[in-house]
Amino acid sequence: MPRSLERPEQRRDTWLFALCLGLSTLALFLPARWGQRIAAGLRNTALAPLVWLQDRGAEGRTSRARFRAVSAQRDSMAQFAFDLPDLKAENDRLRALMGLGERIGPGFVSAEVLRQTLPTEGRTLLLDKGSADGVKPFSPVVSPEGLLGVIREVDERTSIAMTWAHPEFRVSAVSENGDISGIAAPTAVGDASRTTLEFRAITYRDTLPEGALVVASGLGGVYPRGLPVGTVAGVEREQMGWERVYRLRPLARPSAASHVLILQGAEPLRVSEAFAAAARAAKAAAAAKAAPIPPAAAPAPAIPESTTALPPTGGAPAATVRPPDSTAPPRPRRARPRADSALAPTPGTPPTAVPDPTTSAVPARPDSTR
Amino acid sequence: MSAARAATRWQFTFAIGLLLVLQFYVRPRLFDGRYAPDFALIGLVLLAIRFGAGAGAALGLIVGLANDAMTPARFGASALAHTVVGYLAAWSRAFFFADNLAVIAGFLAVAAWTRDLVVLLASGTSDGGLVPALLVDAPLHALATAIAGSLLLLLFRSWFGIRLDQ
Repeated sequence: MPRSLERPEQRRDTWLFALCLGLSTLALFLPARWGQRIAAGLRNTALAPLVWLQDRGAEGRTSRARFRAVSAQRDSMAQFAFDLPDLKAENDRLRALMGLGERIGPGFVSAEVLRQTLPTEGRTLLLDKGSADGVKPFSPVVSPEGLLGVIREVDERTSIAMTWAHPEFRVSAVSENGDISGIAAPTAVGDASRTTLEFRAITYRDTLPEGALVVASGLGGVYPRGLPVGTVAGVEREQMGWERVYRLRPLARPSAASHVLILQGAEPLRVSEAFAAAARAAKAAAAAKAAPIPPAAAPAPAIPESTTALPPTGGAPAATVRPPDSTAPPRPRRARPRADSALAPTPGTPPTAVPDPTTSAVPARPDSTR
Repeated sequence: MSAARAATRWQFTFAIGLLLVLQFYVRPRLFDGRYAPDFALIGLVLLAIRFGAGAGAALGLIVGLANDAMTPARFGASALAHTVVGYLAAWSRAFFFADNLAVIAGFLAVAAWTRDLVVLLASGTSDGGLVPALLVDAPLHALATAIAGSLLLLLFRSWFGIRLDQ
């Protein structure tokens, strides 16, 4: 190309580059509120079809996983369908494990996370629910494990959640028993996948054991009291003999969240109870899984009076065991504890009140937790 | 306009549409996490190679603003990164005669890594997170993007108007 033609073209490219560079630098140093408005405007206009497309894509991915889960559940149900009491117990158990939303009550919106490719993605999450679905700014975002973040911006169809990995995130927190209070904030590293939380402003005389649960204190009115934030993972640093900063292991992981709940005016007490019950249920499930199967001659376990299969104190549910198969040597009737044995007292035993089979829960068999 | 040129234009439009579908529908459907290939960046580099430095910078600004709108960790960081990448990609082609698939794959990898570098720096990432992000995550992300871009070029190079040495 002749030099006379090449030069104006190069000059034009340079000017265009300088203009774009100037515009992007301007965008970078705009006040945060203006930037948020521009971003929201773009998402609602030019990018709306792309957001919609991505929503469908994410939905397809999760619907496949849901389909597999539902298929597995259906197969399990078919396998156990012949035994209705066990099925009912399993239903109760699954509800207890997964029914966080039910426990929280009506004040929540469930949303799907639309993932992006930028390395700063874990600090904010694009959610597929917006003001049209009732989402409001400063609503807490939770996953089944605990606090994930807070809604920062809301459009009509989408919203942006600031996760705990965002440098500006802060939550007033207390130890589980409420004795020690402080501020939970992300550590100073930038990558969302490696950021952890710090529990700051703890007076030097207060000590927290490793593994202690730290929950939101409810101060400020944004995060309901009792919302799990993380567990203590050790002392991060001590400052001048008056403050101790603990390292927290966050319970919710922004990089792994695909579905979240946005709390909308849910009663704080219910939220706190819901997470406590979920933790108890998880502990019970783990204990039931780890517990050895009692011998067949063990006495029949007592049937709880309550309508739930999970004990209120979080202990493992009593397990009933059936004889393995017909090849086992015949045993006396009393040595064969069955769930339904309480409904038909054996001869020789004192008469007991027969519980209503529709209301009394039958303890789940250990294998029904699959 | 000749029929051949019209056909080429349609193919090019279709190729851009294909990249958009890959970025916003196929990627969230198939890939999870931050190592997923960035088809928007692939499109930006290929367009910058084809249309030149100025157009590359302008396209970078548009792609970057779109990214900023979807991931507003720091508004403007992605716009700055993509503007720089778009401009440099077009200039690099002039220096390296990028008619070779391996060279273009290298362009894509370097572009993805540079983009991540500028985004991390501009969004205020501190030293503790910067080093592992640049040495571990960004190279893997760049590799995935380069592989995906090479496959796309092998399949649709004529549609993108990219000439490759046989």
